[in-house]
Amino acid sequence: MRNSIAIIIAILVLVISFLSFTNAPFVARSYAAVKTGIGSVLGPVLNVISKPVSSIGGAFDSYFNIVGAKKENRELREKYEKLYVENQKLVETERENARLRKLLEFAQKKPNTMIAASVIGEDLKNWFRCVIIDKGSRHNVRQKMPVITPKGIVGQVVEVDLWHAKVMVLNDANSSIDVNVEGKNTRGLLEGTGQNTVKMKYVTKNDDIEVGDKLVTSGKDGIYPKGIPVGIVITANKGKAGIFTDIDVMPYNNFRQLDEVLLVRK
Amino acid sequence: MKTAIYIFIGIVLLLIETAISPHISLDVLKPEIGMPIVLYVTFFLGPWSGLAAAVCIGLAEEGLSGAPNGSLLFVTIVIYLIASMMRRKYFVDSKYTFAYFSSGSVLVQSCLFAALTFFAHGEMRGIFNIVFYMVPNAITTGFVSILLFSVIDRLNNLLMERS
Repeated sequence: MRNSIAIIIAILVLVISFLSFTNAPFVARSYAAVKTGIGSVLGPVLNVISKPVSSIGGAFDSYFNIVGAKKENRELREKYEKLYVENQKLVETERENARLRKLLEFAQKKPNTMIAASVIGEDLKNWFRCVIIDKGSRHNVRQKMPVITPKGIVGQVVEVDLWHAKVMVLNDANSSIDVNVEGKNTRGLLEGTGQNTVKMKYVTKNDDIEVGDKLVTSGKDGIYPKGIPVGIVITANKGKAGIFTDIDVMPYNNFRQLDEVLLVRK
Repeated sequence: MKTAIYIFIGIVLLLIETAISPHISLDVLKPEIGMPIVLYVTFFLGPWSGLAAAVCIGLAEEGLSGAPNGSLLFVTIVIYLIASMMRRKYFVDSKYTFAYFSSGSVLVQSCLFAALTFFAHGEMRGIFNIVFYMVPNAITTGFVSILLFSVIDRLNNLLMERS
């Protein structure tokens, strides 16, 4: 009997989650509030965990790099390891400085319109391309804020908790961006595929586009500001059946190596 | 008490996986850590504990994923319901049997998620991605659950079985 009650409760939870998924008005709102609350609790813990994890990641890199040196000189191994690790840390710090300097320069072009944030996590499921940043509603981050780096577009904010926010990266299967070909009159819709490259759609075969063309945001989707670099055309196949050209685009950003990003205030 | 500890371990592991992912590109080797915990608790501690684990792990997964609201909780609860029915018919006698169950649950979870997206939202765009990662996720989860089973078993022997 007790076990049956557990099953009945489980079915009730199942119905609630389904109603939330289908956006049933009252349920969806309450569920979103619960989820935001959970996110606000998990956010600070994630911040704490992500710090030692990133240092361990750096230590791993250093370790793999010194395996060859170990074999060459056993006597000097310990000394070499220590020096090498220290050196790696310095190099990493220098790289970080360079990255931050670039971000700063970029942000200074339009002061008070950008919020800098660090990437502290990635989506649990590989079905989605989403990163978690360390800024949330307390830092004035809002939904649908465009996220960029000096290289180009990263994506847009899709969920905001108190301490952190989730950013849907432009190669997520649910992402779409209105883009223009730089210097040409061609316009299309850039859609994520879930893989490294993205597809540019609705470009007719008589539109002017070729491999190597650079894409920028058109500003017509109401989310991304105009003129931000997005990616470069790597294939443009006009031989396929239909009225549209099959176009693959490589984004400028490597989304697997994002450390710091900028959020654009509207 | 045991249920709370297992759920806590599960949530901490989920947080660690999220924090590690940007540094080590896991991509096709991303294990599903929540599901083995839900299965373990349901099989060994009973339906009530399993329900608590399913709700907590489902909500935590949603908090750490860009999945639509309700979707991950839905699939976790379905897996829990299947596990609580199988509990009377099947016996998990080793870590390898547990690994098979865990891998199977990931396959069911992926199919369920794809079906849910298609039938409730009418969307096809994400389905290819889900199918693409379905088998690698199941295999990785199988291996990780062997490790997880051993760790939890050892934890049981060391700390929780003492009177």
